[in-house]
Amino acid sequence: MTISQKCAWAQLWIFGALVIAWLMLFIYNGTIFYWQDNTFKMTFYWLCAAAFAALVIMNVSAGILKSHRKEVTDERDRAIFRKASLWATGVSYTVVAALLLALAITYMNGNSETIPVYFPLFIVIIGGVTLLLTQAITALLLYGRKVNYGES
Amino acid sequence: MARARINNRIRRLRFDSGEMTQEELARRVGCTRQTIIALEQGKYVPSIELAFKIARAFGMKLEEVFQYED
Repeated sequence: MTISQKCAWAQLWIFGALVIAWLMLFIYNGTIFYWQDNTFKMTFYWLCAAAFAALVIMNVSAGILKSHRKEVTDERDRAIFRKASLWATGVSYTVVAALLLALAITYMNGNSETIPVYFPLFIVIIGGVTLLLTQAITALLLYGRKVNYGES
Repeated sequence: MARARINNRIRRLRFDSGEMTQEELARRVGCTRQTIIALEQGKYVPSIELAFKIARAFGMKLEEVFQYED
């Protein structure tokens, strides 16, 4: 397994752990949103921050390793990640556009022109998470499939 | 449109070159062992540069290592 492949798996594990932690929080307390009490709201945000920190540490460590040992990554890894990034960008843009449209339609139907600032913020976060997750999943799928350097 | 296939004889040539390991070939051409495995399994079509490096590692011409099929 190359370092890029390990990073993609680690990314999935981090997101998996975050989703499980959120689910446990939701099961214990119900939905966690900005109007709820501070303890649970902060637990929700601390989990996000912990996952983000784990992602940053992982990527920085991988970057250092790649720059010091050239044989840990090569053109195939880069070709796979270029292809995975193209897919991930398309998917995340679609998700963000669909959620923004759904939000706009919901508020227009409710005869309200004021959208709480949290909702667009959540949509941006969902877009970022979708981008990283789609990239990791697509990359792992491509590692098992035929890849053509010229097509990426 | 049908995809063109590029086959290679890397596995055969490794054994003919004193049973060269995948690790050794990867080190010589500057890629990972996983890429050599993918090449041998026909799961990766390399760049021209890597193809030339592999052919050179065996002391052969490009078309003696890689074959293009329509």
